[in-house]
Amino acid sequence: MKKYADIGALTLVLALVPAAAGGSPYYLRLATLALVYMAWTVAFNLIFGHTKQLFLCLNALAGTAGYVAVVMAKQLDWSPWLTVPIGVAAAAGLGALFSYVSVLRGLGVIFVGIVTLAFSLIFHNLVLGLRQLTNGETGLVTRGLGFPLLEQPLPSYYIFLAALLAALLVYHWLMSSKSGMAFRALSDDELTAELSGIDVTRYKVLAAAVASAILGLTGALFAFYNGIVSPSVFSFVGIDIPVLIALLLGGMRTRLGPIVGAVAFALIEELVRPWGQLNVLVYGVLLIVLFTTFREGMVPVLKQAFQAFPALARRLRPPPAFGSKPDN
Amino acid sequence: MTAILFDGIVQGLQLSLLAVGITLIYGLGGVLNLAHGQFAVVGGVAAALLLQLGINPVLASLGGIASAGALGFAVDRTLLLPAYRYRGEERLLLGLILTLGFSFVIDGLLNWKFPEFSLTFQLRVPLVELGGISMRTASLAASLIALAVFAALFAFLKLTLLGKSIRSIIENEVGAELCGIDPSRTRTLIVCLAAMMAGVAGVTQGLFSSLGAEMGPEFTILGLLVAVVGGVRSINGTLAAGILLGIVNAFASHYVGAYVAYIILLSFAMATILVRPAGLLARFT
Repeated sequence: MKKYADIGALTLVLALVPAAAGGSPYYLRLATLALVYMAWTVAFNLIFGHTKQLFLCLNALAGTAGYVAVVMAKQLDWSPWLTVPIGVAAAAGLGALFSYVSVLRGLGVIFVGIVTLAFSLIFHNLVLGLRQLTNGETGLVTRGLGFPLLEQPLPSYYIFLAALLAALLVYHWLMSSKSGMAFRALSDDELTAELSGIDVTRYKVLAAAVASAILGLTGALFAFYNGIVSPSVFSFVGIDIPVLIALLLGGMRTRLGPIVGAVAFALIEELVRPWGQLNVLVYGVLLIVLFTTFREGMVPVLKQAFQAFPALARRLRPPPAFGSKPDN
Repeated sequence: MTAILFDGIVQGLQLSLLAVGITLIYGLGGVLNLAHGQFAVVGGVAAALLLQLGINPVLASLGGIASAGALGFAVDRTLLLPAYRYRGEERLLLGLILTLGFSFVIDGLLNWKFPEFSLTFQLRVPLVELGGISMRTASLAASLIALAVFAALFAFLKLTLLGKSIRSIIENEVGAELCGIDPSRTRTLIVCLAAMMAGVAGVTQGLFSSLGAEMGPEFTILGLLVAVVGGVRSINGTLAAGILLGIVNAFASHYVGAYVAYIILLSFAMATILVRPAGLLARFT
């Protein structure tokens, strides 16, 4: 039970956020967006943090699920309860395919980056090109497609909270099972992991598929929540870069890093909002500074600060049993 | 038909100019430069600013190319230092993220300072007749400049001692170091040269069409695609791939539209990585 303590505390805090927002739709929307980015960052942590696959197509994976769900609901008049899972499956399949092909061809980390970046651009041009289905640059209106729960702000917030919770639980379950051990081994040294009998291909593809499913689920729900789905909703600069920054800010390969990082990123984003177009510049500076000087992220630093107060730490958390290593 | 073919070749030569810089920096420095298109745009913007001051167009262009080179020098000596401390995969990853971040910095600055900006040169003679085909002088001039730059680059790499040392580093960095070659100084020189070639591409873009401040990412992507198809370590391959993709792009844009043309180029690059990671035309190196 203790293992779930931090997830439980986190859920409680996040569940109380709408009360703190005091009914302001603006702040509630910001909080909902933060949840969406948290879930995306949890997914990216699995792909990039744990299995070292540099996927630069998060926008395309989330967007594929979003567009598939919306376009099918619109064209075929199917219920979103059916089309969202189809979208999620499409995203998971694509993610698994990229992972499988790149392991099969033995691509290095940047070639995976280039292939997925190319896919991200293909997605963008496909959406623009398939005008009769996607309405091109203008996008599709997604309100009134039979997803009333995602049309009011408050229920939407809790739906995204549930999605985030599901993502965290899946992550926790993966990391505490045999696959978690495999992830740790292969992120340390892939060759050694392979030599000690770990099926590297299988675990890389598993991580990519699960993470892509999380990306897709959040993306598809977001498409309905947002009221409009267009190429700019699922853009590279709007998703991949913030998620990368959030993961670095919070701390790679930690359970709460994506949450802390996404919150920190949301705060930074609010601070630079008055500067308008210059936010791109801030993204660039953040990427450079974080990658050169702060590669550990906030969670390890916070934990050290926390452990600097031993009395406080002891009261809050009993010491781990001898020989057991804390998970993160 | 010939008009489209000619257009494709002109465009392809520009792409090769960009891509060869990416190839050189990757081969020599072990860094995949995702800010390469931004070098081109900075060169073009600098040239246009000098033009506004009333400076002779040729001098302004040279000034623009020189400022792209200066930016390359600065990037190599400051931004990329943390990446050079590592080798192999780690350096590639760090270099990729650092240059990606830098490209955002440049884009942000340019879009903020020069939002509605474009560089266009006007030539006195708009059309020339050559072998029965009338061509735009500007396109012809742009192609000749690109070819001259390539000829100079090949001569430099094949005929001079410095060029030979550069090729030796591309072959094997440690081996070259053992022979007494200083990789870090050669690297700076190459990043500078590559940035200047990008600057040439930026300025000549203003010659046969127009250059906007927002075109950096597009240049980077196109250059990257050509570099990948040509083989990220092969200079001849890059030149050939640029012309090939330029022609493919021109025909595809004409017959099936710009979006599909772009998708074809992207799939080309993707397929190259998956089928022949060393590059489609890498055999000729």
